[in-house]
Amino acid sequence: MKPCMAVASILLLTATFLSHAQTWKFSSPLDVTATNASGVFHHLESSGRRNIVATESLVAVAWEDNRNGSPQIYLARKALSAKDFTAEIKVSGGGEAYEPSLLALDNDRFVVAWEEDGRIRARIVTANGPGPILTLGLQDASQVSLIRQQQLLLLVYSQVSKKHRRVWLQALQIQGQSLRSSQSCPVDVEPAKDDQLYPTIVSQGDRIVTAWEDRRPGYTIIMAAQSHNKSPCKFSSPQRISAALPMRTSAFGKGHGVARVALAAYGAGQTMAVWADKRDFREGYDIYAARYQPGKKLFGVNSKVQDSFGDVAQQWHPAIAGNSMGQIVVAWDDNRDGDANIMLSRFQDNKWSDDIEVAPASGQGEQTHPSIYLDEDNNLHLVWIERIKIGGPTRLRYAFARATK
Amino acid sequence: MTFEFDLVYLIYIGNISLACYAFFMRFLIVILCCLNWLPVLADKPAGYPFVTFDKAMQQASVQNKPIFVYFGRYGCGYCDKTNKEAFSSQKVRELYSKNYILAYVDAESGKRLRLPSGERITEREVGTRYNAFATPVFTFMTLNGEPLHRLVGVQRIEDLLSADTEVQQKLHGTKKP
Repeated sequence: MKPCMAVASILLLTATFLSHAQTWKFSSPLDVTATNASGVFHHLESSGRRNIVATESLVAVAWEDNRNGSPQIYLARKALSAKDFTAEIKVSGGGEAYEPSLLALDNDRFVVAWEEDGRIRARIVTANGPGPILTLGLQDASQVSLIRQQQLLLLVYSQVSKKHRRVWLQALQIQGQSLRSSQSCPVDVEPAKDDQLYPTIVSQGDRIVTAWEDRRPGYTIIMAAQSHNKSPCKFSSPQRISAALPMRTSAFGKGHGVARVALAAYGAGQTMAVWADKRDFREGYDIYAARYQPGKKLFGVNSKVQDSFGDVAQQWHPAIAGNSMGQIVVAWDDNRDGDANIMLSRFQDNKWSDDIEVAPASGQGEQTHPSIYLDEDNNLHLVWIERIKIGGPTRLRYAFARATK
Repeated sequence: MTFEFDLVYLIYIGNISLACYAFFMRFLIVILCCLNWLPVLADKPAGYPFVTFDKAMQQASVQNKPIFVYFGRYGCGYCDKTNKEAFSSQKVRELYSKNYILAYVDAESGKRLRLPSGERITEREVGTRYNAFATPVFTFMTLNGEPLHRLVGVQRIEDLLSADTEVQQKLHGTKKP
């Protein structure tokens, strides 16, 4: 190598390192809850991975654990300036409760939606405590995700309908500290040909975009549909997001596996979808993304999110967050270093950055199931599950990352 | 006469149409099968006493047997191939049904299980924990869930038979007759 090329390479590597090192400065991790006992297992599992949100003064985390013998939903809050989270409150009503999805309203109010005893429930939580629980009159419903659309809350969830699970949209009206159900409709007007699972939803400008896992071709694909905020129940025909691979020559095999789509709105009218994708089936799941584009196809070409060093490892549990400043970041857990650690990638200049290891969520044991929130100053809030021993008790951990540029 | 002729003619034409239609449909199905356009809905192989992972752990503890876990997924073509080419063997069926508690895990499913430790876990998370990064993956485990041996991808009859021999040697220290 010529000396000038060597110097250029070193400068390039240094610049790359510095650009990553300076993206965020992470604080020391905190426990979200003090309930960390043997036999207690915390879960961050909402459809679309929305378990954390922040306002101008508070950060809030919703999760499920079994501290009292049955799975219940809890919410903990922390003033941004405070050192610790305050004691959590139980949000669910006492039945078996799972998969809370969290949203911030104004005046430090939060909405939690979850599944309890096979039905979707939701309630507002304020500084004065939780409001009444709204139970939607639907059996065998689960996997809820929610957004705010002006004066409405919009929920999507998967519900058993005849033979298969089908994605439904439910609008809720906010009345003080209470919620009231409004219109409801299936996202795909055609009867489900197979299961529709794990939906999630975003609101972007005058559009609502929802995406979900769909098994209609005999294997799982990611699909999406959009509607207008003035008529949220008039969805476009569902379109496939996850690309079909060229037909294999083998007499066996219909399509590769995909799982658990997450959506985030960012910038002016932009939306990004990410999911776990096994198109490289010998190396396990990778994280793939597709960018929303108005028009018939809804989403553009698929791009791989993680960098080449992650190709020989398995990636799981993708989460995504964006802000109106046009920033977007994806988090996942990844075993490239032996243990499962949390990694991040940013989408900048139309490409995904090299992967960023999250120091507080790396090292001994496993750090998994991230959920993230990106504020308007590009500061990142991250929550995850930590476990030292496989099958052992879990801890719910949080870290704040201040944007440094 | 004309009416009778027309009727016979219509019936004749109708039969030909029906015959052509039936032939065309059969031809289409064969072509679709050849082109691999019909869904492959891989599931656990028929004729085996597969149970869910949590039930398998309970049964293994009661019966003091190791566990054989089949990690598949919906539409997994290579699972289907293994089912047809290896699990169809009578010898494999007898050996595996006798020597193991058999568990099937859909590695993409959100189905909830409860482990003997009290932990609630989904089938997908069982797949994550045991690194079922591809499907099919077959993991032999102790009754406590400690992995003993693992097979990844399509298996033949001889692969499953030799894996059983290896696992039994690990467990019992001697070669089975």
